[in-house]
Amino acid sequence: MGERTIPELLPGTLYMLILRTLSGGPLHGYAIAKRVKETSHQGLVIEDGSLYPALNRMLVKGWLEAEWGISENHRKARFYRLTPEGRKQLDHEAEEFDRLVRAIQLVMRTA
Amino acid sequence: MAKHERYQNRIELLQGTLDMLILQTLSWGAQHGYGIGQAIRAGSGDVLQVETGSLYPALHRLEKQGWIKSEWRNSEHNQRAKYYQLTAAGKKQLTSEYSRWSRMSAAIAGLMNPGESEGQA
Amino acid sequence: MSLWKETLRRLAYLGRRSRFDADLDTEVEFHIETRADELARAGMPRPTALAQARREFGSPARMAEETRSAWQFRWLEDLAADLHYAARAFRRNPAFAATAIACLALGIGANTTIFSIAAEVLFSQPSVRDPYSLVRVDIGGNSASPVREYEFLRDAHTFPGLAGENEEMETNWRDSDNTYRLSVVRVTDNFFDVTGIPVALGRPIQPGDSDRVVLTYGFWQRRLGGAPDVIGRKLLLDGRIDTVSAVLPRDHRTVTGFGFSPDLYAPVTDPKTYVTLYARLEPGTTRLAALSRLKPACQELDRAYPDGNHKWANNLHVSAVSGIERIDTEHELMRPVAGFFAVLMVVVGLVLLIACANVASLLLARASSRSHELAVRLSIGAGRGRIVRQLLAESLLLSACGTGAGLAINIGLTTLLSRIQLPLPIPIQFLIQPDWRLLAYAAAVALVCSLAASLAPAVKGTGVGISAMLKHGEHQLGRHVWTLRNVLVVGQLAASIVLLCAGFLFLRNLVNASAMSPGFDIEHTVWAYMRLVPESYRDPAKTRGLVDAAVERLRSLPGVETAAIARVVPLNNNMRRGTEVSTDLNSHGLHVEFHINYVGPGYFQAMQIPIVTGREFLPADRKGAPRVAILNQNLARRVFGAVDPARHFVRFGQGETILVAGVAKNSKYFSLGEENALAYYEPYDQSPGPVADLHFLVRATGRPEPLIPGINTSLGQLDPTASLEIKPMSKALVFAMLPSRVGAAILGSMGMLGLLLASVGLYGVLLYSVSRRIREIGLRVALGATPAGILRLVLRQSAVLSAAGIGIGMALAVFAVRPLARFLSPEVRPADLMNFVVVGAVLAAVALAATLSPAVRALRVDPVEALRHE
Repeated sequence: MGERTIPELLPGTLYMLILRTLSGGPLHGYAIAKRVKETSHQGLVIEDGSLYPALNRMLVKGWLEAEWGISENHRKARFYRLTPEGRKQLDHEAEEFDRLVRAIQLVMRTA
Repeated sequence: MAKHERYQNRIELLQGTLDMLILQTLSWGAQHGYGIGQAIRAGSGDVLQVETGSLYPALHRLEKQGWIKSEWRNSEHNQRAKYYQLTAAGKKQLTSEYSRWSRMSAAIAGLMNPGESEGQA
Repeated sequence: MSLWKETLRRLAYLGRRSRFDADLDTEVEFHIETRADELARAGMPRPTALAQARREFGSPARMAEETRSAWQFRWLEDLAADLHYAARAFRRNPAFAATAIACLALGIGANTTIFSIAAEVLFSQPSVRDPYSLVRVDIGGNSASPVREYEFLRDAHTFPGLAGENEEMETNWRDSDNTYRLSVVRVTDNFFDVTGIPVALGRPIQPGDSDRVVLTYGFWQRRLGGAPDVIGRKLLLDGRIDTVSAVLPRDHRTVTGFGFSPDLYAPVTDPKTYVTLYARLEPGTTRLAALSRLKPACQELDRAYPDGNHKWANNLHVSAVSGIERIDTEHELMRPVAGFFAVLMVVVGLVLLIACANVASLLLARASSRSHELAVRLSIGAGRGRIVRQLLAESLLLSACGTGAGLAINIGLTTLLSRIQLPLPIPIQFLIQPDWRLLAYAAAVALVCSLAASLAPAVKGTGVGISAMLKHGEHQLGRHVWTLRNVLVVGQLAASIVLLCAGFLFLRNLVNASAMSPGFDIEHTVWAYMRLVPESYRDPAKTRGLVDAAVERLRSLPGVETAAIARVVPLNNNMRRGTEVSTDLNSHGLHVEFHINYVGPGYFQAMQIPIVTGREFLPADRKGAPRVAILNQNLARRVFGAVDPARHFVRFGQGETILVAGVAKNSKYFSLGEENALAYYEPYDQSPGPVADLHFLVRATGRPEPLIPGINTSLGQLDPTASLEIKPMSKALVFAMLPSRVGAAILGSMGMLGLLLASVGLYGVLLYSVSRRIREIGLRVALGATPAGILRLVLRQSAVLSAAGIGIGMALAVFAVRPLARFLSPEVRPADLMNFVVVGAVLAAVALAATLSPAVRALRVDPVEALRHE
């Protein structure tokens, strides 16, 4: 079922998902959004309007670096890649998110 | 101490999640606000500590939407307290919230650990 | 750490803002194009795909804004927005802004000006190389030592460099037919080497030079017309031909400090000159270390020259030459000067506070009239902190403008001051230049003002309950008297009372000083200062001959009653001695300190100082004749008690016996404010010579001014190489009156300024109060109140505020003015009741004037209009 109607992702998780997506290698903005959408089987959609502000915030925080390159369709594009701080942040966020989800599951499964 | 605060922030942002947890708690029986907070904490193994600042507005919101209702009763220590309980609409909402949440967290988990998911598109 | 890196990244963004926008555009375009490609591959026609992709993307403008804000310093952007808003608000309400800025400008202008002067007088650095390794060396408890002793220490290499200078010297400069007396600093030939004083033109005096001089910029401009060919020019100084080898820069500051500004520097020519020693220390040497090196060197000195009556190794001092450190040292002048400036800083601080209170009051008034707007903003979620920040931004803008205007006032005043030549016997010129210290101080002051003025209104403005503000219920029905604004006004009035009391004291001091009699005649006396070329008058007999001839010539001039010679002119220069005195009646020595003068026959008559008992000096009291002396009444009473000292004898230490010829009436010797001074006179002929400075005192039968040209010619003919300065005695006293004039002028004007600012505050509060009560007044008039009754309403508020201000102010003033006593002459007592009465009356009068306009406004209220007024 097309879950395009799912609203914006939660702000904290958005960083985490972008970081995870980039852990496999540098991507440009469009590719990041696409990868997230595909890997989650349309479960998660990053609204275009939130993508670039989030990417820039991550640049300011030093989790990502950016540089210009040529995309697969031969156009000039800006590629983002994880920094060592970014990797650390990813691990940290993932760990915390795991804890959170498990805790919620605990409550939800108790009957 | 800081870690727990982070979770609290998360729950505030995850507005829907807090609603869901409250509805779940109330599905075990009527409870007053303090008791709901305690139940969530205990049920999550002390991980989720809900601030009253977020709990009571959420209860207010849920009541306004008709998913819970309240009445004044005497508590177990014989004090007057406002007790909340699930309505029929609330039960339905709980189910749909949970399924939505499950899908979302599955999707996220899938993205975070691609090896565990059913395979890439 | 990460915050630091983040800040750096944000700073980097500031530098590439324009490129950032372009880059973002490119990135967004790429995104849309790529999406369009996908759609097109799925079969959609390209233009439709593109349109669809754009739609999906959403509003690029908002996204761009949000993206940019990720990089911005949030607080900086907020501040810029706040300031912009504030500027717009002020443009809409120029009267408010103008008043606030004017008050601040006056307060900050006065404050920074006093700071500039204090910084220059107390903290300035001499123009030397590395002032922190240059020190002044005093040996034997003296501030100067003879050249012989200096050379010994220099050759002993106690320090890497030791030089000497004497700044109290003068020289006669003969330029064609005119002879001018110049102020010269005589220096040892290594002085410029050791101190590293920079020159603007030419090269300075170097070791080995004996006839080269260095001119100051002022002398070069004023006396030589700034001639470009000045280097190499020959000047005839004290009969010697010297060559100009350099000109100093315009901003040259001497090692002596205090704005002392001589005409030129020249080498020491007379080996009997006393020089003040300056030493250059190795880098890192402390003054204490230098002191410990000095002691053995001076002990060597004492052993080398056992003849002198000095023990040079005692009482050694090493003191700093630069700025702040100088205050610590026992520079005689420093303490009272520093004290005076401290008082001034407190005074201008108070003035500034009064000004800030005005601004705060204005902001408060504005806040309450904006209360509706603020309430709406609060209710739609603007945090209280945000609104406080906005109010702070407004007050910051006002302060910045006020500071700018204040600095303009400062620069105007200090430039004026730098041009003034003070009427002092030593040439002093202040060199006040605006520098980073002034800017830093002004910035700090602006910040403090901004906080002070805005805090109260900001807190109050956002503290009142929202519903109350929305109801716009600011009806002051006379019950809520002690609003914050009223408290501010009372504070202002109290502060200005304190200032007025101080100012009034100094005014009384000035009046007192003007009325004070110096004890000698100034109406009919002319003072002729003739300076001879010392080298031409080595023989004391020659000098005496000249003096006798001069006095005779002067006496023969028409309109001259009598003339006399004196070594010292009271209130202009001074000689003192402290010693043991014994008499023929009491051989037990008594320690006394007295002023001493050597005067010729006719002096007391010329100065109209009565001889109480005994006689004046006579021509017979010459060199070789028995020694005689005249005591003043105080000294006579101290040494001889009730006995008439005439014809008795005194003796100093183991010296000769001296006959007391007579007793002179007490007069003033050093300052107008002195009391109970002891003075001692000996005949000029019997004075130890030789002396090149001759002071002639001429008594005119009528007015003194017409005599001056005659005196000039007469004395000039005797020796054309001598310089002459002739003026009526009344002009000479200007120097003596200077401190009281300066004190009165500054403190008096500050008092007035404070009063003006406070009265503006009072006026503002009363006017505002009337405008707020228009409805009430209209009601009262409609119900039959008389004009007198309305007037009473306004007057009562004014009276309450003024009375409170005066009361609190007086109570504070009683304590605050006590420390001022040491700057005032003894007759002016700070605790005098009259002071307070006068000041209170002045303030009451001004307060009444400030009440007039609001009162008239209240009387003009038309009841019909008023009842419609909301």
